Amino acid sequence: MRTVFDKLSSVRWLTDPLALPFMQRALIATLLLAVPAGLLGTWIVLRRLAFFAHAVGTATFPGLVVAGPWGIAPPLAALGAGLGFAGLLSRMTRRGATTADAATGLLLTAALALGAILASDVYRSGAGVDRLLFGTLLGLGDGDLVLAGAVAAAALAATAALVRTWLATGFDPAGAAALGVRATRGDWLLLALLAVTVVAVLPAVGALLVSTLLVVPAATARLLARSLGALLGAAVALAALEGVAGLLLAYHLDLPPGPAIAVIGGGGFALAALASSVRTAR
Amino acid sequence: MSAPGAGIEVTGLSASYGTGAPALRDVTFTAADGQAIAVLGPNGGGKTTLFRALLGELPATTGSVTVRGATAYAPQTERSRLDFPVSALDVALMGAYARTPWYRRIGAGDRALARDALARVGLADRAGARFGALSGGQRQRVLIARALVQEAGVLLLDEPFAGVDRTSEEAIMRILDELRADGRVLLIATHDVEQARGWDRVLCLAGAQIAFGPPAETLTNAVLEATYGEEIVMLDCGNRAVAIQHHSHAH
Repeated sequence: MRTVFDKLSSVRWLTDPLALPFMQRALIATLLLAVPAGLLGTWIVLRRLAFFAHAVGTATFPGLVVAGPWGIAPPLAALGAGLGFAGLLSRMTRRGATTADAATGLLLTAALALGAILASDVYRSGAGVDRLLFGTLLGLGDGDLVLAGAVAAAALAATAALVRTWLATGFDPAGAAALGVRATRGDWLLLALLAVTVVAVLPAVGALLVSTLLVVPAATARLLARSLGALLGAAVALAALEGVAGLLLAYHLDLPPGPAIAVIGGGGFALAALASSVRTAR
Repeated sequence: MSAPGAGIEVTGLSASYGTGAPALRDVTFTAADGQAIAVLGPNGGGKTTLFRALLGELPATTGSVTVRGATAYAPQTERSRLDFPVSALDVALMGAYARTPWYRRIGAGDRALARDALARVGLADRAGARFGALSGGQRQRVLIARALVQEAGVLLLDEPFAGVDRTSEEAIMRILDELRADGRVLLIATHDVEQARGWDRVLCLAGAQIAFGPPAETLTNAVLEATYGEEIVMLDCGNRAVAIQHHSHAH
């Protein structure tokens, strides 16, 4: 314990890790990913797509497992698996006999099981499975950073262009078209952007912890923000803050970064819920 | 804010969802010059289908629909997401979305228009309140303000008095009367037969048009029975009728 207090007693707890090249890359990736995660996360939470987003993330797992052996770029394999999931979900719920949440639960379990079997018995992925499921923020390549930057730019552009469409459609689905809003096109763009954002955060937090960046910060901000602008801003800021805090925690306590960010995000949500209930009680 | 020339002409309209049987058949009516029309019928009778056809969201399978003037739709407020972080002013400003390009902020003129519209429906002091925190009647008035910002000549109101307290009901009645005086055309979907008697015309729908005309001539017991079937209950020896409301929201 003494060493931890020594570390905290000077700013070296912050500056030492950030002098390391792999930590610098992780920091840049975290800050870049916070942008699409916070912006899209806001709509995921407002449109009640959290379970869907989590399932899309999980559904990429078998895609990631086969990417290496099949010689496909992991983001493409992940995107393919995610789109396959969305296609199957839409097919299963078309008749109305299966509800969307039941179908989502079924497909996400199937994807996880398929990935586990492929990883353990077909391709013998070994220790790599942990990395696919929980991410490897400390081992990102140039391609991961470029993808994060591109998706951040796309999320900013789409939010600027579509914020009114998404707001009107989400708030008042029955009345949106009468307001001159192109609701269907907006919804497709939202889902497409959600898919590429999931793919972009996979290297950092893995298939099982996508919600750590995509849902938790926005859900936390939701408890405190009173306007849409404040919610979007707070979700991005929280995603960045929790990401950096989780990264530092992981470095100092030698934890895997994805789970560390998840733990910090959970703590942040609990604090915000407490603050929100105190505010309501007064 | 007047709306001269606003009107609706519907001739022989049938409309269906997908390839199925028509959800609504044989609708023929006209409305113009500040008329208010009650659209009366049971759940699933075609009120929402008619509105969607008038908004151009559902193509006519037969017949024709002509609407003169911008058309606004005020849905039942509990169908909107009351937990969204939007204020009454934010919702009123949605009326300006269609004329604001995506790369522009909503203009100062439209902001002023939205504040004026909220003042006109008596909610100037609640502009900053969260939409979901308002009462049902206040929310309905915000949606009417939104239609004013759209500068709509034709207003389609879906059950504007459902779940509304007495004070708000009177306020909404007063606003709708003012809108008629502007020359706007109102279509008011309602379950309430007594309510329907107060408007200029009544259009009875039960999958097909049952009747259209001035309420006094149109709302006969025969018409009401054809409109509501088993759901109608006659009171006062047939002088009053009450439709039984089933609280399902299938349309």
